[in-house]
Amino acid sequence: MSGKPPSPRQDPYAKYGGYDNVQRIYRECIESTKPVPSGNRGVLKPKLKGFHHLDIAYSKMVTATPALILDWLYETYDRVRDQINQWAMDLFPRYPKIWGPKEKDSVIVGRTTYASREDLGTPLHHMRVEIWARTWWLSWRRLAKGFSDHDGNFRLKYDLRTARSVAVRKIRAEVSQKYYRYSKTGQLSPCYCIALAIPIPKSDLVGMQYNLRDIQIDIWSYRPDSPIPRVKIDDLQDEAPEKYVEGRDDAITDQFIPVELIKLRHVVQLRAHPDSLTIDQIQRDYPPNLTTCLEKRLPGYTRSDMFFGERMMNGMHALTFQPFANAQTKRKAEHYQDVDPDHLYHVVNWGYQGYDHNDIYAFPTTEMVFEIQPGDFVPRPLSITFTGALSAFDRDPYQERTFFPTDGKKWMQAKRVARCVGGLISEVDDHFARTHVNVEQYAIAAFRNLRLNPIASLLLPHLKEVSLVDHTADRLLISQEFGYLPRASALTEKGLHQRVRDTLGMLNWKDYEPMRVVNDHHHYAKAETLFWKITEQYIEEFMGENAAGIRMHWAEIYRMSQDLVTHSVPDFNHHHHLHGLEGHDKEVKARCMSYFEHRFEHKTHTHREHHDGECRALSPITRQANFADLDDQAKTEDWENLKELCCYAIHHATFLHSWVNEHQHDDIGEVLYCSLGIRFGEHPDGVLRPESDHKIALDPLRATQMLWWSNLLSRTEYGAITKNPDGDVNPRFGELLQEHAEEFERYGISVDNIESRTNI
Amino acid sequence: MSHTEHSTLIRETMADWIRNAWDYSLMWVTCKVFGLAVAIFASLMIKRRMSHDNGIAATGTVRILDNPNIPLHRFFLPDRTFPCRIRHATATFLDDAVKGIRSMSIKFSDHHLESPFDLQMNTGEKSLFWSAASFLQFARMRKQQYGVQYREYYRKYPDGLDGAIEAIRENPKSFSDLRYYAKTPFRFVGEDFIPRYAKYRVIPGEPKTEETGKLKNPDPREIPNQRVAAHNPRGRNYLKYEYRDRVKKGPVHYLLQIQLRNAATDDKPEIFNNMLPWNEDLYPWHDLAEIEITETLNWNESCRTTFSLTHMPESLGIIPARSIFDYNSLNYMRAQSAVAHKARLLNYRLFGYPPEIPDNDNRNWSDWEKPPRILNRTYLVQKKN
Ligand SMILES: [Fe+2]
Repeated sequence: MSGKPPSPRQDPYAKYGGYDNVQRIYRECIESTKPVPSGNRGVLKPKLKGFHHLDIAYSKMVTATPALILDWLYETYDRVRDQINQWAMDLFPRYPKIWGPKEKDSVIVGRTTYASREDLGTPLHHMRVEIWARTWWLSWRRLAKGFSDHDGNFRLKYDLRTARSVAVRKIRAEVSQKYYRYSKTGQLSPCYCIALAIPIPKSDLVGMQYNLRDIQIDIWSYRPDSPIPRVKIDDLQDEAPEKYVEGRDDAITDQFIPVELIKLRHVVQLRAHPDSLTIDQIQRDYPPNLTTCLEKRLPGYTRSDMFFGERMMNGMHALTFQPFANAQTKRKAEHYQDVDPDHLYHVVNWGYQGYDHNDIYAFPTTEMVFEIQPGDFVPRPLSITFTGALSAFDRDPYQERTFFPTDGKKWMQAKRVARCVGGLISEVDDHFARTHVNVEQYAIAAFRNLRLNPIASLLLPHLKEVSLVDHTADRLLISQEFGYLPRASALTEKGLHQRVRDTLGMLNWKDYEPMRVVNDHHHYAKAETLFWKITEQYIEEFMGENAAGIRMHWAEIYRMSQDLVTHSVPDFNHHHHLHGLEGHDKEVKARCMSYFEHRFEHKTHTHREHHDGECRALSPITRQANFADLDDQAKTEDWENLKELCCYAIHHATFLHSWVNEHQHDDIGEVLYCSLGIRFGEHPDGVLRPESDHKIALDPLRATQMLWWSNLLSRTEYGAITKNPDGDVNPRFGELLQEHAEEFERYGISVDNIESRTNI
Repeated sequence: MSHTEHSTLIRETMADWIRNAWDYSLMWVTCKVFGLAVAIFASLMIKRRMSHDNGIAATGTVRILDNPNIPLHRFFLPDRTFPCRIRHATATFLDDAVKGIRSMSIKFSDHHLESPFDLQMNTGEKSLFWSAASFLQFARMRKQQYGVQYREYYRKYPDGLDGAIEAIRENPKSFSDLRYYAKTPFRFVGEDFIPRYAKYRVIPGEPKTEETGKLKNPDPREIPNQRVAAHNPRGRNYLKYEYRDRVKKGPVHYLLQIQLRNAATDDKPEIFNNMLPWNEDLYPWHDLAEIEITETLNWNESCRTTFSLTHMPESLGIIPARSIFDYNSLNYMRAQSAVAHKARLLNYRLFGYPPEIPDNDNRNWSDWEKPPRILNRTYLVQKKN
């Protein structure tokens, strides 16, 4: 956390008992607000029906005693059934032996394809296909095994006499996806998950070739109705291409029920008596967070400039600071005469201009200027400029107002608005768009294509479950009808979609670099750089060890690259986005682009490809399906590309997501400190009002929902890389992180909290 | 050999013996039951053959050639001449204009049944089925409707589909320009007592005659559709009429050819597979006999003329089969049809012959127009001119 005083002029920590005292209390508050698993599961304890049954109003919970008993009975039945299945598997194991003589006389042929309308006839390559016979006494006999080829075709040789043996009762073909798992000793072993089983009438097998024709498998399709690459999930329960691991749902049940019950009580009470709860009461009902804890022990500190600078640099916001000299701004260095111009930094948080929004909440574009001195110093805010409406009385979207620390109360209020704008931007641009939807596009391309290539074992553990959680987020967070953001912030569902699309248009795996470290106190950037370097080392080692396999199945990489490029959104920075715009509109659009460009350090000159007449946001990895066909230069380049892409995808799914997700509770866990929306209220000053004016704060229903939300995101984590509960992450990654645990600790990160995937 | 190895060997031999006995019994029962079912439900009740009802028979002579490339066989002695009958037919449909398989059968005698040597052949170098089990599937999955058949069969068995593409002839000009193959091999033990296998085929007397009716750019999905194409002017009997007219003008010649290979104990079963033609470079076709056809027979005689695989000298007979999956089981099953032949001939005697196929617009028909009952002696069809 906080560094030394921001300037030698005066010690601002003095009134909080000095820097060391603040630091001690800060650490204690971090510790005391960590989640404690409730863990008290019992027959008559309330139950959550899984993550995707959560709702901002009434989540599906079982609370009534008869229902709980029925639920327990059902679960018991489920457990018994699973146990019986397990016994059946133990009793009738499936041995790997292939029955029949060595020379097989007959063949089963067919082709694996996608099932969805949009992918009709598209081959599903490298699926595992097996033919199993079951005898009258229920034992299994494997007749044939193999993989579908690059075009989805398979030819499995089997022995006709064995298949038609009187002992055999039934025959079936099983198509499975290949996954990988690591044993405790670090041994990698493949495992298979059956995607489809088709019965084959025994009497149909009469020798020569038997054609199973196109086997359509409904997995990993792109959503046809979305302009951004998303996974098609018709029904999360039954028709999703993947499922949460059991531990994920258990973690939610263990950790989240108390919070869910608080929100449920509030919602019910507010529906019946809207005036019966105040913001303070609501806040008190939830477990304390970092800011409430600090505020209790160091009153005023959380609203101070030091804490503001600290959180903007190393909190959920984790801003990208631009040296003032390079910034495109109307502000001049002369405005900050007592500050060395080299220490001036500039940040823009783009607001509602250009995005569909409502007229309840303010979301002005916020420009902030900071002094950041070299060394272990927190940024000192020097000015905050808002562009856009700040009150319900004047809705001019281009009006500008600037506030300085000398503005007294108004400065305090401006900082709150800046926190709220930053909060929404972190939630939408950084969290949802950058780490959820962005990772999902890598997940879908990887899951569609990586099967036999060793890269599958490297990437897939980090890309699983993101499509599921994004599907839930569509309803819980984004939807105009059910979602939280369109009700509790300025952006509508349409605006959110526009924003996510623009963000994706600025993100690319190629030429990505971790955030530049501004000074010694820039813990976020230092941690990100450290994590990036560790990931690079891990991938370097992995790809070195598995080079032959990766080259052998290069076609999977090529197809993944094609899927990535052709489905990615158009590059937002491309000049044609400005084409046809004139005057003010053009200026606004250009400024908006410049915000994204700086926020995500977009590299304009990175090579990208055109598809369907538009330049795409993502660069291709390789242009050849066969590694040997690449010339020497391309071999080196494409190999590096693959490394870079893996590093980017893992980095985003793990570190970046964990960071923004985990800090939600710290930064949006106190309604009056920072919320995702701040209402215009009824006063001519609009949002520039003291915290005591609850008309500008969230209304009590949204307030309880926001606290619920921040608890949900930051307090129900599962699946740390170092803990590896599902055994699918290469233990080497955890080891490398552990080796640097101390350094991470210095930046306020416990390596055991870095999750292996984006799953909440 | 140790004691355990010895007992394992005994156990395995016993198990193999039981399996073989089971396989053979199953084949025996299946083929007998099938033959009997055809005899009762097709031949005796509705006077039908298995498939080739629509045909024309003819007579002439067959002369064995003096070909030094063929090992001497006491039946195929050079210059030996037999009276002969042949029968050309279109399979399964009572309409010559359908896209279908055409056949030729030969009998080395001028008798409707008795003969020392019969051969049954179809167009195409490959077949649509390859064993008794596969044939039963083929029969079960015919599901003919309005001239479309074997749709399900072709979808399940790509080799069957390939065979159909190979064997179907669309609008051939004449029966006499097609090539006919007896695809499953037979035994051939000549005077040198070296066991050999033989395949037979018949080609036109003038070998350079172009074969008409082969499918050009066939669409696999269209193969089940054997219907007479729209605007096809050919009538239901056009091939039979063409053949009758041709023979009237002068004798029609064919060449009977033979392909031979030595039998060995390590032969793979695949050599008996009628879906896999033998390599002609290794096993070339040799001219075996000349056939000269001089007279066509009328409809009733054409119906009566019947061929059987059992009509062969032992040294040229069918190769024994072990199970219904054995490629040779196909001929074994065909050989069980004697009872069906007798039943059909009995029906003719008792209740009369089926009607001649009329030249009307009932196209793509597979069955007789008036469903014949066992007692109806005559069919109410207009007499043809
Ligand atoms: Fe998240």
